[in-house]
Amino acid sequence: MDLTYSPEDREFRAETRRWLEENAPRHELKTLDDRRAWHRRLYDRGFIGMGWPKEYGGQNAGPMRQAIVADELARVNAPAAINALGISIVGPTIIVHGTEAQKQRYLKKILAAEELWCQLYSEPNAGSDLASLKTSAEDRGDHFVVNGQKIWTSGGVIADWGLLLARTDSRVPKHKGISCFLLHMRQPGVEVRPLRQITGSAEFSEVFMTNARAEKSDLMGRLGQGWEIAQTTLSYERGGNSLARVTRYAGAFGQLVKAARSLRRGDRPLLDDPVVRTKIGRIYAELEVQRYSALRVLSALEKGESPGAASSVTKLSYSEFEKRYFELVEEILGPYGQLTMPLGDDDVAVDVDTSSGSRGTWAHAFLWSRAGTIYAGSSEIQKNVIGERVLGLPKETRADRVKAREAS
Amino acid sequence: MNFALTADQQLLKNSARTFLETHCAPALVRSLADDPRGESDTLWKEMTQLGWLGLALPEAYGGSGLGMVETAVLLEELGRVAYPGPYVPTILAASVIAEAGTAAQKQQWLAAVAMGSARATLAFLDADLDWNLESVTTRAERAGTGWRISGIKRFVPWAHVADVLLIPARTPDGLGLFLVPASAPGMSLTPVTGIDASTRWVNVKLDGVSVSGDAVLGTPGGARPLLEAALRRGAVGAAAEMLGAARRCLDMSVEYAKVREQFGQPIGSFQAIRHKCAEMLLEVENAHAATYYAAWALDAGAEDAAVAASVAKSYVGDAARKVCGESIQVHGGIGFTWEYDLHLYFKHAKALETMYGDADHHRELIVRAVAA
Repeated sequence: MDLTYSPEDREFRAETRRWLEENAPRHELKTLDDRRAWHRRLYDRGFIGMGWPKEYGGQNAGPMRQAIVADELARVNAPAAINALGISIVGPTIIVHGTEAQKQRYLKKILAAEELWCQLYSEPNAGSDLASLKTSAEDRGDHFVVNGQKIWTSGGVIADWGLLLARTDSRVPKHKGISCFLLHMRQPGVEVRPLRQITGSAEFSEVFMTNARAEKSDLMGRLGQGWEIAQTTLSYERGGNSLARVTRYAGAFGQLVKAARSLRRGDRPLLDDPVVRTKIGRIYAELEVQRYSALRVLSALEKGESPGAASSVTKLSYSEFEKRYFELVEEILGPYGQLTMPLGDDDVAVDVDTSSGSRGTWAHAFLWSRAGTIYAGSSEIQKNVIGERVLGLPKETRADRVKAREAS
Repeated sequence: MNFALTADQQLLKNSARTFLETHCAPALVRSLADDPRGESDTLWKEMTQLGWLGLALPEAYGGSGLGMVETAVLLEELGRVAYPGPYVPTILAASVIAEAGTAAQKQQWLAAVAMGSARATLAFLDADLDWNLESVTTRAERAGTGWRISGIKRFVPWAHVADVLLIPARTPDGLGLFLVPASAPGMSLTPVTGIDASTRWVNVKLDGVSVSGDAVLGTPGGARPLLEAALRRGAVGAAAEMLGAARRCLDMSVEYAKVREQFGQPIGSFQAIRHKCAEMLLEVENAHAATYYAAWALDAGAEDAAVAASVAKSYVGDAARKVCGESIQVHGGIGFTWEYDLHLYFKHAKALETMYGDADHHRELIVRAVAA
């Protein structure tokens, strides 16, 4: 065991920090143009698509370098890169499964945020049971015609393209009849409606496809290979920026302590209340455990080990922690923790930087924490994966499996 | 950056696992439960021969000079079998002697510990069971060239088999730490019985116990940092043992859930059981990260070593209680029987939870360090 960073990594971190101190925007980026411009600066500096192979415009950087950059971005609460899904999911999927022509056509524009991407996976009736999706893509000779509805499409409103899962064969068992497409979003058959969440904002959308057109050349992989492709995609989404995530939690913790010091109960600061202290001590311990676990994951990735199903443990761990974290903050701050408006200049009890690039409120962070245990595979799905694939417990009897067995 | 064990550390783990499976099997643990000493001299000798007593002691005194990570590796395996005996108190006391002892004190005790001929323990708690060192009321007064010590020490682990006790006591110069032979006149030892047969506690009364001037460890008023450091090592050691107990309970639960059938299928195929096992794994993996991070931080002298030790003790205590408890739930009725082994680990983890600083104490230490 040795958890020290190498001199090269320390130097890289210092360089990254210096660059961010000089270049990171100090204010919230409100327009798409501003966000694109910031993305471009990160890209030009080599901080976008760091893990991508060099031949496709990446840096071929190891997990440690990627983690350091993400961590330093989190430390200064820098705005996120605009094309996050394109960079972390769509691009790598094209690199692994795409044709040479698809790689030439799409990858560069993803990196440079010239084209923004979203993911068209979940449907109103296909959430955890994603493979039961109904959106259809019908072969019309030189193209496919797409009909159906998608939901929980993050960044749908600004997306130029979408990575789509659609059913191309309804006669075979459900996992085998799904294909993966690159769908142009800016066409008459695609309608995007923002989806307002419990936070009041709309980071997600609903997408309606009515006789939308997908080119033959935009089929990803083989017909019927969509589920397999989606599995690799989902794996990219699990376990990623764990160190940076912890750095954001730690930033919020500092603000919690500030709030607990400034708020008073009776004749003393909240921070001197033994009950509050126990809660703060407990949450800090949990936060540190998240950090140690992130280092453990990073160390395994550095050695080239693929976390596989074990990344479900990571996802379950941080998303459930996040809920406990903000619930506890709410307990400590009381009604202040629910305010959605600032109270004055010195608003330590209300404001917290928990989302990248913008000042948020504890209230928003608390509400947002309910999302993490649902998206990218709910906690219940993660526990199924852990039970079956990590612990080797027997599979449950599921109606769809029985049906698939009877069909074959 | 490497969070994994080195090849040598892995070898230590594997050989300890193999040895303990046969030499510290549940049958031995159960048979010692009714033994007034509660430990096996044969096992102690074998552990000595394996070099475990001197694992972290300086080579000059017959030790191997290894660190807290190796100690944690071994303690995880000992926790896995609910090892009953004075191993932890002995190596903890020895570590304090190694850190602060005079050449003569080291000569007398360290070699004896490494050779297996001396057992030792450290008395952290006074009458009111407060882990804060300010609460120590045991007093040491100068008497000629030596000292006279009076006071009450409670829940001293394995004091009834120890040759020497490390006794914190208040002196005119501040908190001191004294090497007191168990056989010294004025010492009275009263074993107390708890649920865990793998942990023996003893209440110790010191009634004007006379020790010579060379019984002081370090300086008469300088014990505080020694005791704080020892408490951190004890906390991480307890975390490692609790981790071992928890992983054992998880392993047993998963195996059981694969073979136990109800309603015509293995109970592990039911989400109610499978999800429970997944939650237990999550706690065990987090406990692993907490324990080994803290062990590494102590060895490396990392800035956050003290906080990491408190994080490990408070987190792993909760995690182990949950995992060991849930393992009984997964097993159902059989898990509640005396014959089934689960309760050995459940009880051992429970006892360790209260030792070397309970979770509340360590949470307070964390807040003092990070939110002062």
